[in-house]
Amino acid sequence: MIEHFFDVIGMLPIQRALIACLLCGAGCSILSVFVILMKMPLIGVAMSHAAFAGAVLGMLIGADPFISGFIVCLLLAALIGPVSDRSGMVPENMLGIFFSFTMGLAFLGLGILTRTKVTALNLMWGSLLTISNRDIYILLAVTVLPALFVLLFFKEIKSVLFHRTMARASGVPERMIYYTLLFITGAVVSANLSTVGGMLIFALIVQPAATAMQITYDLKKFFLISVASGVGSCVSGLYISYVFDWPSGASVVVCATVIFAVSFIFSPKRRDSRSRIQGV
Amino acid sequence: MCENLLELSGVSLVRGRTRILDNVSLNIRGGEFAGVLGPNGAGKTTLLNVIAGLESCEGEVRLFGVPACKSNGMKSRLRVGYIPQLFEIDPSFPITAYEVVLSGCYGKLGLFRRAGAGEKRRARELMELVRVSHVADRPVGHLSGGERQKVSLARALIQEPDLLLLDEPTASLDIAVQKDVLDLVCNIRERMGLTLVLVTHDFSVLPRDMSRTILMREGRVVFDGDTGSALESETLSGLFDYPVETFERNGRRFISYD
Repeated sequence: MIEHFFDVIGMLPIQRALIACLLCGAGCSILSVFVILMKMPLIGVAMSHAAFAGAVLGMLIGADPFISGFIVCLLLAALIGPVSDRSGMVPENMLGIFFSFTMGLAFLGLGILTRTKVTALNLMWGSLLTISNRDIYILLAVTVLPALFVLLFFKEIKSVLFHRTMARASGVPERMIYYTLLFITGAVVSANLSTVGGMLIFALIVQPAATAMQITYDLKKFFLISVASGVGSCVSGLYISYVFDWPSGASVVVCATVIFAVSFIFSPKRRDSRSRIQGV
Repeated sequence: MCENLLELSGVSLVRGRTRILDNVSLNIRGGEFAGVLGPNGAGKTTLLNVIAGLESCEGEVRLFGVPACKSNGMKSRLRVGYIPQLFEIDPSFPITAYEVVLSGCYGKLGLFRRAGAGEKRRARELMELVRVSHVADRPVGHLSGGERQKVSLARALIQEPDLLLLDEPTASLDIAVQKDVLDLVCNIRERMGLTLVLVTHDFSVLPRDMSRTILMREGRVVFDGDTGSALESETLSGLFDYPVETFERNGRRFISYD
């Protein structure tokens, strides 16, 4: 088995996929901390459908689907925060509206697209084994972005994640932090489309932090566990995908779910909370 | 301290077609303890949010003698502590009570600066002062309502505010905890010489030290004077559109209604 593993990682497409996996797992799992703690699980699915709609629109007008998907995704990310703040609607409801709108837009585009729809559908499902060097560089950039953001603004992020209004009242630049978080989410989701795919990004943007949520009360460890879980899901998913000849994106999601399930079953926090309730 | 710390002139706020605040003008002097009272929907919390800089409005807000507008408001607003109503916290949320208190100084520290030994020591001291040092390392979502309000108080105090705003600090707490929290607020006010503005709709929990009462209804100030005069049957019955009686016991006025 081990020999087989080393044979596998000696191949160039697998090496590329492995690097992409590491980057994708790390980038998405950093974001998943924000998504889980700010209770916005719809953001992944909304952003990925925005990127999908952008890609379809790009194909319709003859533009690069990746670039058009990226632009639409960033536009949505830039809109969500200010629109939900000004309208007084909770961001999750706003995301629901944007999600259904972009999904409708994407399927409308698919309906009138006369050319092959394979490129667009690839964005939905992704393909870890066919990514290019360009994808790797973009992934590297968008993984460094959230990591740097967390390192530079950790204390402000902690304050905003806990309570936006209190953070703002005490002089933390809450809107700048919150809107930047949404913007980075847009960038990471759209850049990761060609690896795990739009449909499957939703899992990687929720499950790593949901796993960390079962384990720790320390925000620093929370980020580290989330990243470990995300990277672990991607690497194990890729390996299983190769060995059993399964679709790579789906394998990654299955692995992420298994890791979450294990953390849920053995969660020290759940045990702790049961003890508190029973007064033990 | 007797100069005006806070001056509101012609402050109005409209949301959609509803006028939440309607031409509110008032001054709060240094060292004062003022209560803003009124029925639900009177605009009390919105008024507090305007003072805290959380909502923009028409009219002028001056803090410490300086207009608290966007360009220069932040510096003066760092001298304003804000304690919100008790809010739900996910018990799994990864932050301890001590970290919540420490986060009160992040705005003052500014970007790219970490809390040093001085800030950390101050956070521990303040937790001792508000009697929550025994829960410092517990996740804040595991604390009781009273403990959480005390943590919020310590969080506001680490900012070293001159003006402290409290929004319904005793809502959802039982009677004994309400008294405990309010006594603590009064003691700290006396000890630190703070100016306090407290918003509440509950006339049964007015602190003894609250010398001034501002009554609001439909976004307007309808009474501004000493607390004893505010607690008159006629004034309160008019405020609530409901017959309210008042009586005196141990030198304090209380209200009663059917």
